[in-house]
Amino acid sequence: MQQRDNENRLSQEYTNSVLLNGTLQTPRWWPYLVSVLGFFVIIGFVLFGIQIKYGLGVTGLNRPIYWGLYITTFVFWVGISHAGIMISAILRLTQAEWRRPVTRAAEILTIFSLATALVFPLIHAGRTWRIIYWLIPYDVSRGIWPNIRSPLFMDPIAISTYLTGSTLFLFVALLPDLAVLRDRTTGFRKGFYTILALGWRGNPRQWKMQVVGGILLSALMLPIFVSVHSIVSWDFAVTTAVEGWHSTIFAPYFVIGAVHSGVSAVVTMMALMRWGWGWNEFIRPEHFDALARLLTVVATAWLGFTFLELLFALYGLDAPEIALREMQIFQYPWNMLFLTFLLTGYILPVPMWLFKRIRTNIALMFWSSILVNIGMWLERFLIIVPGLARRTPFVFTWEAYSPSWFEWYILFWSFCWVTLLMLIFSRIFPLVPLFEQKESEVFSDDIKIGRATVPTIFREEEE
Amino acid sequence: MKSLLGLYIDPNDAANAMDGLKEGGFEVGTFDVLTGTPYPEGAFGEHVPQHRLFRFPAFGAIIGFSLSLFLTTATQLAYPLITGGKPILSIFAMLIIMYEMTMLSAVIFSVIGIIFESRLPNIAPGVYDPRITEGYIGVVISVEDSDLGKAKKILEKSGSEEIKEA
Amino acid sequence: MSTNEEHFHWPPSDPKVVKDELISSTKRGGGFIKKSIWVLSILSILGIVGLLGKLFLESDDQTQWGYIAAVLAFILSTTSGAPMVAVAPLIAKANWARPISRIAHIIGVVGIINIIIMIPLLWVLPPLIVDGARRRSIWFEAPNYSPHFWDTLSLIMLAIVGIALLYSSALPDFATIRDNSNGVKQRIAKFLAHGFVGSTVQWSTLRMRIGMMSTFYFFTLIFAHTLISIDLSLSMVPGWRDAIYPMAHAMGGIQGGIASVIIVAWIVRKYFGYENYITINQFWALGRLMFAASLMWIYFFYSAFIVFWYGKSMSDTAWLDLLIRGPMMYVFILGMLFSFIFPWWWLIWNKVRNSVNGPFYGAIIAIFGVFFERVRLYVPAWSVDPSLIHDKWLKVIPKTLFPDIWDVLVLVGAVSSVFLIVIIVSRVVPFIGIWEIQQFNLLAKPVKYIKAHGVRVAKPD
Repeated sequence: MQQRDNENRLSQEYTNSVLLNGTLQTPRWWPYLVSVLGFFVIIGFVLFGIQIKYGLGVTGLNRPIYWGLYITTFVFWVGISHAGIMISAILRLTQAEWRRPVTRAAEILTIFSLATALVFPLIHAGRTWRIIYWLIPYDVSRGIWPNIRSPLFMDPIAISTYLTGSTLFLFVALLPDLAVLRDRTTGFRKGFYTILALGWRGNPRQWKMQVVGGILLSALMLPIFVSVHSIVSWDFAVTTAVEGWHSTIFAPYFVIGAVHSGVSAVVTMMALMRWGWGWNEFIRPEHFDALARLLTVVATAWLGFTFLELLFALYGLDAPEIALREMQIFQYPWNMLFLTFLLTGYILPVPMWLFKRIRTNIALMFWSSILVNIGMWLERFLIIVPGLARRTPFVFTWEAYSPSWFEWYILFWSFCWVTLLMLIFSRIFPLVPLFEQKESEVFSDDIKIGRATVPTIFREEEE
Repeated sequence: MKSLLGLYIDPNDAANAMDGLKEGGFEVGTFDVLTGTPYPEGAFGEHVPQHRLFRFPAFGAIIGFSLSLFLTTATQLAYPLITGGKPILSIFAMLIIMYEMTMLSAVIFSVIGIIFESRLPNIAPGVYDPRITEGYIGVVISVEDSDLGKAKKILEKSGSEEIKEA
Repeated sequence: MSTNEEHFHWPPSDPKVVKDELISSTKRGGGFIKKSIWVLSILSILGIVGLLGKLFLESDDQTQWGYIAAVLAFILSTTSGAPMVAVAPLIAKANWARPISRIAHIIGVVGIINIIIMIPLLWVLPPLIVDGARRRSIWFEAPNYSPHFWDTLSLIMLAIVGIALLYSSALPDFATIRDNSNGVKQRIAKFLAHGFVGSTVQWSTLRMRIGMMSTFYFFTLIFAHTLISIDLSLSMVPGWRDAIYPMAHAMGGIQGGIASVIIVAWIVRKYFGYENYITINQFWALGRLMFAASLMWIYFFYSAFIVFWYGKSMSDTAWLDLLIRGPMMYVFILGMLFSFIFPWWWLIWNKVRNSVNGPFYGAIIAIFGVFFERVRLYVPAWSVDPSLIHDKWLKVIPKTLFPDIWDVLVLVGAVSSVFLIVIIVSRVVPFIGIWEIQQFNLLAKPVKYIKAHGVRVAKPD
């Protein structure tokens, strides 16, 4: 097999064989990791069953802290889901070449994290089946329709819209790669891919629809992406009953935080993909460099929003609100969580990312991205729980919140579940979009300006 | 009617084949180029397809907007319960549901439009070679039996690696 | 020209032609420019007369200064955001912005006007301690005149950084003018060029300087918008607690900045004869930015609105009464129409965005939108009875206040000053960056890919 063609570009055959090494063959580590994750996931389902049988008493939730780890994790996973559209749609519209190896994995992360997020309100509700009553629009024999004025109803509508849109977007972008799989498999798998590929042949009409359709769907998904986490934030912001929640900045604050945590999760994922499947030629240090620069800008904007949120919490000179913030920042254990949140969310990773040596060091990028997501999970926890702990001015209602091991395990379960789904996906579909990689080889070239060799891109429209 | 597929390694050869077929008097809509990766539009001198893709999201948005307006209005009016001191027809809350459903419908119809405009699903794809997704470029033509030899000659002359017939 | 250059709108590839055509922009316009300078100068002086009239006749009545504050915010919002149109593509390494980046920097220099309008406002803006008690503000326990000091400082910083950004980006062009002119112009250019000869070190230092100035400008812009919006409107209204407000104000500033760049670029293209440089590509990209900005406007507005509408507390209801359905109802409707509905419905069509005039008309609509919005936010804030400043929420909604003759003069003077300063600066600094276009010709070339027309763009970074 020829690795490079006459013009020193990676050949399509080579690209196919390397990027499909996880789909058409089983990596050695794959069965072991899937078994371990599967085991943890099954335990999680069992625990969920136990919770349904014995009720929410198995958790640490109690008056007045009705929303705890489950809702925190719900918001966290919705946040992670914002990676997909950020990478795929925004970078596609701005024609950033470095997005190419990352887009499919980011889209899959979006889909699986959204699906996981949707599960959490069901877990949190205790009597899961009752959610169907107030969610599904039918009123036979109940005498009531869903309350569309409630943000709790708007949430699933928005998340379902985003999930459906992302899945369809993924499928459309998968079509050319399904054709590759159809052409490289036999037997049952060939039949499976043939049906999914819908008869794709690669004529100019179909490629034009990929390009135009990709831009159209990106443009449509972007407003949905902004609206989803804004609506989730309004679960908290529209109520005046809880201190620290009724703030107008919540919508863009949550969205920018979601982009911060989502893109960090993509960095984590890219590092694992490079190490796990050996895609060193396709996932290169310059991709991490570009992502780190994006993250620096996003993180700084996020810090600005965090500052404004805190500033205006104090601005009102409202005694209960100030008391809450004092508790959050100065009282144990909240002060330790607050400090950890600041350190891991911004103070440690972002100054690191100012240096190119660190931005191109994949191991350091991996660990710094994990730090960010620890910080972002803590951010959601610190928004939700302290306000509830001091919900009323009556001291006898104040309670501490101690999540039970149930809740901690379900949090752990969610990470295992998303990872498991992604590993299963990787055995069926390629994690890196093949045609995007090949397209970059076709469109790129090196030229000489003076003595310097400079990479170039061919653009069909005017620059 | 028969179909011929010429396979090429060099994109310039494929472009020459397309030129040759055009000069040979074959109708523009009867031949096409197949690639495993998108090339710049018009790179092979192919006919640039016109599409009406943008009508699909517009139509979808209208459907979604109407449906969501009906759903939100009718459900609120059907059981006029005051919740949180809000008016029975809470327009600002309705706007959010309507926005999401409008966008969802636009996205669904866009995807239908992309698949339709790509002329998929293609149940009878015709002559094809799996090597196209390995980097080969295919030039495919549908001809009458009487023109088969002429078309084959043009494809061979342009430097095809192989010619398949169906 | 080759077939490829005919296919695309492309500047001339000969560096000498580019240099001569763009240097001449400092001389183009002739009699029309001279007449404009006279007219605009007179109108600007009338603006100063308006300010002085206000100061000497109405300085004891805070409620009469809302329109002056609105004009300050309007000029801030339509000009200070303009350099962002150059900064963002610079960071994204997008070449489309090269022909209009200098225009964006020149508009940013107009920040000087804000300082002039701020001076009389400093007299009237209440200190932190009113009637013996400290009023609510973001300055908490800070010294009494903190808002006055820091707000003025932010505007001064913005003006200085704007000038520094323009100077940094125009430095190589000053060297070009120095080497291709004589007399006074050559002496001025020599002084400004500061010995720039185009060595490798100078170019890499210049890149770093432009990058740093751009970043610094962005932070200063956000700082200025935050302080001006909070101190000159939000904290004048008891109970108005709105964390998104500074960012919404900054977003309006970016919308206004994009609009002003489109308008000036259109004028320069049409009346200075630069169709080869400012092409449909620039307007297409700016049209998309304008469209996105109008969507961002409604997003920020709705984020604030929905929280207040749901909250229904006394202060939430007061916000709705003051700024939406009370004295400013018609201004709110106009602001909504001109900031969102009209630009959005106009620019959503591909044919409109992909034209030269489409984004131009959209920009004019947006400028009106920014104006109505600033009037809506600032006039009622200043109209609130100062004796109510310590209340928990606004209990007495002020009546609708209409502008008087001094307010109109200030508005006319301020807008005229913007154009006056832009014209004066353009006599020294070319409207289109010479070195940027020449670098573009080095990095991008129309080519053919087999049979497809396209552009090969070098990405040296």
